[in-house]
Amino acid sequence: MNYRVRHMTRYIYTHPVAIAHNEVRLTPRNGGVQQARRTQLAIDPAPSVLSQQQDFFGNTIHFFTLQAPHHEMTVTAVSDVTLWSEVPAKPADTTPWEQVRTALSQDLTATGLDAFQFVFESPYVRWDEDTVAYAAPSFPAGRPILEGALDLTRRIHADFKYSPGTTSVATPVHEVLKDRRGVCQDFTHLQLACLRSLGLAARYVSGYVLNLRTKPSDKSGDKPADKAETKAPARMAGADASHAWLAVYDPATGWTDLDPTNNTIPSDQHVTVAWGRDYGDVSPVKGVILGGGTHSIAVAVEVLPVS
Amino acid sequence: MSTTSPSADQSTTGSALATTGSALARTDSAPARTGSALDADADRRLTYTPAEDVWDEMLAAPGEPRAHWAPLVRWLRGQGKTEMARRWEQGRRLIHENGVTYNVYGDPRGMHRPWELDALPLVVSSAEWSRVERALAQRARVLNLVLADLYGPQRLVRDGLLPPELVYANPAFLRPCHGITLPGDVALHVYAADLARASDGGFWVIADRTQAPSGAGYALENRIVVSRTLPEAFRENRVQRLAAFFGTLRDTLRSLALRHRENPRIVLLTPGPYNETYFEHAYLARYLGFTLVEGADLTVRDSVVYLKTLGGLEPVDVIMRRLDDAFCDPLSLRTDSSLGVAGLMQAVRANNVVVANSLGSGVVETAALMAFLPSLCKHLLGEELAMPSVATWWCGHDEALDYVVEHLEGLVIKPAFPVFGHEPIFGSALSASARDDLLARVRARPHEYVAQEQVALSTAPVWNQEGLQPRHVVLRTFGVASGDDYRIMPGGLARVATSRDSLVVSMQRGGGSKDTWVGSDGPVSAMTLLRPPGAPIELTRGGSELSSRVADNLFWLGRYIERAEGTVRVLRVVLARLADEASGSDVPELTTLVAALAGHVGLEEGLAPPVGDFDTATRERAVLDFLRAHAPARALRPTLASAQRLGSILRDQISLDTWRVLNQLEDHLPPRTALHGVTLGDALERMNALVLGLAAFNGLSVENMTRGQGWRFTDIGRRIERALFLITLFQETMITPGADETRSLEALLETTDCAITYRRRYLGTVQPAPVLDLLFSDETSPRSLVFQVRALAEHVERLPRAGGEALRTTEERTAIAALARLRMARPEDLAAVGLHGERVQLADMLADLGNDVITLSDTITQSYLSHAATTRALSGYAFGGSA
Repeated sequence: MNYRVRHMTRYIYTHPVAIAHNEVRLTPRNGGVQQARRTQLAIDPAPSVLSQQQDFFGNTIHFFTLQAPHHEMTVTAVSDVTLWSEVPAKPADTTPWEQVRTALSQDLTATGLDAFQFVFESPYVRWDEDTVAYAAPSFPAGRPILEGALDLTRRIHADFKYSPGTTSVATPVHEVLKDRRGVCQDFTHLQLACLRSLGLAARYVSGYVLNLRTKPSDKSGDKPADKAETKAPARMAGADASHAWLAVYDPATGWTDLDPTNNTIPSDQHVTVAWGRDYGDVSPVKGVILGGGTHSIAVAVEVLPVS
Repeated sequence: MSTTSPSADQSTTGSALATTGSALARTDSAPARTGSALDADADRRLTYTPAEDVWDEMLAAPGEPRAHWAPLVRWLRGQGKTEMARRWEQGRRLIHENGVTYNVYGDPRGMHRPWELDALPLVVSSAEWSRVERALAQRARVLNLVLADLYGPQRLVRDGLLPPELVYANPAFLRPCHGITLPGDVALHVYAADLARASDGGFWVIADRTQAPSGAGYALENRIVVSRTLPEAFRENRVQRLAAFFGTLRDTLRSLALRHRENPRIVLLTPGPYNETYFEHAYLARYLGFTLVEGADLTVRDSVVYLKTLGGLEPVDVIMRRLDDAFCDPLSLRTDSSLGVAGLMQAVRANNVVVANSLGSGVVETAALMAFLPSLCKHLLGEELAMPSVATWWCGHDEALDYVVEHLEGLVIKPAFPVFGHEPIFGSALSASARDDLLARVRARPHEYVAQEQVALSTAPVWNQEGLQPRHVVLRTFGVASGDDYRIMPGGLARVATSRDSLVVSMQRGGGSKDTWVGSDGPVSAMTLLRPPGAPIELTRGGSELSSRVADNLFWLGRYIERAEGTVRVLRVVLARLADEASGSDVPELTTLVAALAGHVGLEEGLAPPVGDFDTATRERAVLDFLRAHAPARALRPTLASAQRLGSILRDQISLDTWRVLNQLEDHLPPRTALHGVTLGDALERMNALVLGLAAFNGLSVENMTRGQGWRFTDIGRRIERALFLITLFQETMITPGADETRSLEALLETTDCAITYRRRYLGTVQPAPVLDLLFSDETSPRSLVFQVRALAEHVERLPRAGGEALRTTEERTAIAALARLRMARPEDLAAVGLHGERVQLADMLADLGNDVITLSDTITQSYLSHAATTRALSGYAFGGSA
């Protein structure tokens, strides 16, 4: 499948901003089943400084600075991406989860070490006994890791209410677990905490998902692709933001993506932009400003299938 | 010759240890003194009784000082308790005067907690020190190589020399710093190690500090105080000087500059005045000649770090940071930091600025690393590690964990990554259930814990009222990168426990510190931080490099001092009149004076009870109460406290004398507690002393400060405040003349210190017009209103302006208008009383001038001083996602 992704972020300030430093991760990753053909980044007003580099996880970051006073800033990334569907590993064929845990701490290869760093707590992924207790039923002794992980994904999808606006990026895992509700990054942080509390390696993935309302089961039947150009930057339900999911590591079969928000194994409808330990490592747009008064944000994301 | 014969005196110490007591002051080593009177003998007897099973720094055996302590012990024997007590009183005064402080979080004394320093130094022999130096330099080289590897290829992890957990699970490993270039391959520019002496007498390292080590400045201040208190002993011990170490530190930082290599701008980045070691930041900045900055003083443009100064942006080449690295850049590191500089990481990556120590260098502070240091040293340097660390087990390895479980009794359990903020736990102090709890926690996350052998610290003598007492001691040592090696400070900051039995040595917990004397075999080289005479240096007259924040502080310092002076001057006259009133005479001008005082300090009521409804005693009490009042903010005590606070923030800007004067101002007020003892006479005396103290500050700033922008802002503050004071004074005393105006005019002249000038000019009677001429229009009198406004007009004309605009600025126009208004006014007209018994023209004039001065203050603040608001993070945005 070929997609064109358009991700627009606009900040509007009540007072002029004298200087703004920004760090964005808006360029889809290349590799695996995903070929990121190109990304065009448009920044308005034009920045005085713009530089690009890879972060520790191999994500592409752009840094830029606006040094002239401005009342609003718009960052638009348009990316062309090709996704191939891949048959996921057979859950029953994956390594028993305890063996994965042992193998991880002994593997000093580059791949092994890269996976090992996703075993530990990170600023947004911390756990306590409740987390451990929630994870336990999915991981009886000897269960193949992907079976357990899929079962956990299914349970989170079943037990938690998708409820936009009730949580923020900083909502801790234990609160999500208690209130049983949240949005994609909450479910992702929760499942990461469950998996890591067992000594497994799991990473946070940020990206985009094809608007699921285009599926036949969707009652509205409204095809967003037709209206997208004219409606921007107005928000469209379901496709108006970045998405987040996770990936779990098995030394035998590598990384497998899991989407607890949709209870799926992502394949050719999820565009991967960046990964890291948690939201803090991959936040799409970060900025520090001088001045500005109060500000409002508008975000619009469209994922359009193209031929 | 033995000194151990226990005397009757010693047996009174009562404990079983008394038999090991040694009377240091037994004068048998100085036979000439044995004949002195009994009293003197008792005075000289300094006993010191360290515990038997502990290594003591001073005594090898009871009564037997170690060879390198001999000169100091000999000298101590020559002194008596009284003389030591006198010397130490002097030392403590020096600490107070120098304003050496250490902020203890949550301490009621807050920022004014005096630095705890012991009178006696810790002495280390030169032979032992050269071994220490070699070992520490080696250790610093190893840690530097580890840092370079972790933020580069990470071979040590892949080769199995360093467990990956110590990197990837370590919050101090800052991923955004990975791959930054290290000029000269140095990441660790300043290094500190805490040393303890094992019971066999050898040193071992108990902690490494690689992030932004503190203490070197305190070590220097300790040296200054102790060497002045014990100059003879200092000379006799041939103590190695510290200055060369700081010279190397300065040279190293200068050499880091990638641009402006001839005259690089180096700043010392501090978290600010509330940091526990802020005193040291200001002290070091001044000593090393660096600019002290807070994050808000810096800005990044075009990936270059700039200092915001009055004259514009000045590029910064090197940042010596005392801010933890995670807080240094709210964009790339901790986004909740308000102390850092947004974009700093990009400036570092662009090779436009060098940060020392390198960002991320805290990662090797983990105690867990100590378990792997011997093999790392062998691998990286091909050498054996010269000084052992305290025995350390990292629980992440199964064998180590098994050992720890078995030997918990003798171990201390610590978090491997102290960012989590857990306290060390002593295995020996645990109950059975607490032990099980702890082990369960460790087993759940073994890689987050280390166990260390419980360290037996050595003791050293501290001086207190009773004489000498043993205290456990830890020595913090310092190294600085120099070329491809490290130079170690000959000495360090010794820290002692609070009580005899305590093993906890921490300044934050109220422990004390000691100077450390390292002897020298040859003559002591005396070097200073001044440049050698031949070295070429770019001439500069400086001034515009003043940061806006510093200018703002100087401006307010000037205002506070002048505000206090105004208050004190009125108070003095009021107190003298109250004393008169008490003696029975009628004092009608008291009411207007008190009203002027109330107006000046912004006090609505309290001081001036309704007319006719007060008695002498009430008013007297009100005035005396006012002397110690904490409110309103403009009252005397809070004003002096504010001046002192600014002084401590401005330590790197003002001279030591100026600071001493500032620091003593509040001492002139009656103590907060015992007010009942304060009489009118006593209060008057205190106010006289305070006027002199304030005059000393003003005198120092006139005679000592270069006429740069710093001086200008101090003086602008002073002139604005004095003008406002005079306006209030005129408004309260002259607009509505009373029946007996002469007396209030006399009080006015007295308050403004112009009585003598007036009498010389007019001899006899006091009349409104001549008084107004003198206090209003006489440009030669530094106490007149016109004098203040003229000075302000001159100052604003000389302030730096953006782009050299030709037009006059708002502040210039305001000042010129006010000056013209004042010059045009005729004293006779101003003195004329209108139909309603009011001096209408004077009232209008004063109201206008008041507005002018306030406008002036506001516009200057807006143009030059207002911190352009500090930066903040854009709100991150929530993921919606699809359901």
